[in-house]
Amino acid sequence: MELTRREALRGVVAKCAPVAVAALALPAAAAAETSSPPKAPVGMLYDATLCIGCKACVVACAEANDLPRDVSLDGLHQAPEDLNAFTKNIIKLYKPQEHSPDSFVKQQCMHCLDPACVAACPFKALWKNDDNGVVAWEPSRCIGCRYCEIACPYHVPKFEWDMINPKIVKCELCRPRLAKGYEPACTSVCPTHAVIFGPREDLLSQAKERIEQSPNKYFENRVYGEHEAGGTQVLYLSHVPFEDIGLPDIGTQTIPERLKWQKLIYKFLALPLLLYAMLASIMKKNWTDHQKEMREEEERTGLRPQL
Amino acid sequence: MKHIVVRWQRGVPVYAVPKITPFFAFLCAMGGMSIVLSAYREWAGLGPTTGMNDIYAWGIWKTFNTMVLTGLGSGGFSVGIAAWIFFRRELHSVMRTAVLTSFVAYLSGLVALGVDVGRPWNFYQVLMPWRWNGHSPLLEVALCMPLYACVPLFLENTPPLLERWYYTWPQFRPILMKYFVPVIRSTYPYVIALAYALPMMHQSSLGALMLLGGSRVHVLWQTPFLPLLYVWAAGFLGFACVIGVLMVSCLSWKRPMDMRILGNLARIMSWLVLSWTAFRFVEILARGQIGAAFAFDRFSLLFWLETLLLVLPSVYLLWGDNSRIPSRLFLADALIAIGGMLYRFDPTTLAFSARPGAVYFPSAIEVLVATGYVCFAMAAFILAAKYLPILPAPVTAWHDMEHYARVVHPDWKLEIHDFSHQNRPNFAN
Repeated sequence: MELTRREALRGVVAKCAPVAVAALALPAAAAAETSSPPKAPVGMLYDATLCIGCKACVVACAEANDLPRDVSLDGLHQAPEDLNAFTKNIIKLYKPQEHSPDSFVKQQCMHCLDPACVAACPFKALWKNDDNGVVAWEPSRCIGCRYCEIACPYHVPKFEWDMINPKIVKCELCRPRLAKGYEPACTSVCPTHAVIFGPREDLLSQAKERIEQSPNKYFENRVYGEHEAGGTQVLYLSHVPFEDIGLPDIGTQTIPERLKWQKLIYKFLALPLLLYAMLASIMKKNWTDHQKEMREEEERTGLRPQL
Repeated sequence: MKHIVVRWQRGVPVYAVPKITPFFAFLCAMGGMSIVLSAYREWAGLGPTTGMNDIYAWGIWKTFNTMVLTGLGSGGFSVGIAAWIFFRRELHSVMRTAVLTSFVAYLSGLVALGVDVGRPWNFYQVLMPWRWNGHSPLLEVALCMPLYACVPLFLENTPPLLERWYYTWPQFRPILMKYFVPVIRSTYPYVIALAYALPMMHQSSLGALMLLGGSRVHVLWQTPFLPLLYVWAAGFLGFACVIGVLMVSCLSWKRPMDMRILGNLARIMSWLVLSWTAFRFVEILARGQIGAAFAFDRFSLLFWLETLLLVLPSVYLLWGDNSRIPSRLFLADALIAIGGMLYRFDPTTLAFSARPGAVYFPSAIEVLVATGYVCFAMAAFILAAKYLPILPAPVTAWHDMEHYARVVHPDWKLEIHDFSHQNRPNFAN
């Protein structure tokens, strides 16, 4: 039996397709996935030793972000118990059991350099600004899946559970204020400068200076957020162990790095396409065989074959 | 006692039984109630209607209806790979059951997912590639799962429907022969290949979801191989579901069972389970976390419960003739299904501890909605099995059905043994 040119070509193309796709995939696999850091990250430095727990920042935050007052505790005072759908910023008191020192702690979004929530969000509703690195939320893109809440190691994104069109509520570093040239509300009102705003680099060197000036004042003589989960734009100094004030020991690997194999597998969809090509080529042969068997079956039983 | 050897040869509708039974009405009522409660949830928000909170942000609509039920509904994928890719001929007779269970399971899971998300009206963005975050496992699931259910899985389910129309709708016959059959014949392998590539992608991505959960997922479950373990588990869960559905259908509609085919399915399932378990143990050993399995806290007990539910019945099924004895097969299959479902459920719920002291327990509305959509899926399966040639039976059952149909539906054109007929229906040649 002679092959027509078309058949021959088809055969070659069919056999080469997976190879070609694999060749495409190789350089892709070789190039390691790196997320580009923001150009000029800004952030905050919170020094727990300076904080007096006045909660001026909590009130200022609610005011600047137009959030309803969370008075659920006693119906009288704005005293949220945790970050929630009404609270993007909170001051908590850490009170140890023994006679060791207690400490206040401020919690809000850490604005990670490589944020888990941004990696998780399917439709880029959570996105990181390329310039100042602020992690922001875009309402028109959010489907309300709450994967960000699962992924964030700091429990920051909160969900409006009681709303018909629920929003994700999280600190966006007062980005409307930043756009107008103001600093975030919380840093602008702090009476003791326990929390200050500035470029991340400056804040980091200032924090290290403070450690140098008073050695053994700060826990482990280090800045939390310098390397944690690839680094955060909000930095912490504390005289008590970081874990005690709710800053988890999560290592230096960025959270999205846990998906590196996934990223490699799906790069340019190369491997899925290769898989599809393999399956299709096997199926094509088996389909021909199956059709032959169905014909035999039909002749044997006299019944119409079923697919 | 004389054994009658039954061979499943072709799909035959469940005929001469009432279409609407009390059980069917009950399933529809449960489904209807879940629609009413879903409407209430849309109106009232997720907080007042569910047990979810900011710490346990995912409830059973995601962790059970999607994670577990689509795993259970992977029969079309896993049995299909055995039948078509590894060319196990005898399994073709159960493929219609497999793809139908997959179809109803995926649809009910997707509906539950739609009820679960807070802003479903923004879901139109699946059609806007420039808004996709290609690195998100959830995007992969959100694209792949509806695509799989609506394209290859739907197309796999069309032959029984076309077949019914062929016999019962004479005007449709020329259209079918002219337009549908050639298209099906030329595109079928590509559709089928898609029906196996897509589940491999999204069933593994379901596992990849929890990679970002990090240490919130207990070390016995949290591993970089979570995607592989998830898709592997979908493999044996699909088999378990198909075996269970076939046996329950045969029992409730008094169909004969082909224990050769069921036994073959059971043995493939057992080997999948055992290899999966072996891989899981090697992986835990390699990570040096085997100590956690012997901590005998609630996590290690859960781990052993999963392992025993999976391993003991699998070994039992491979022992002697157990896989060919209906009662033993059914019991072992049910245990494997429960064990596999537990594994798919745990990393997001029972083995997930986001913050000490935080708890999640599904509300009554959550449980009712979750079961309601499962009831809908069951009702759809029952109705389809009664109208369409889905469930496998011996050829003799087809002849019986034919005689019955000639009396009840004289208008149908059944000419089955007529070889001289020019327009002989055939998808095959």
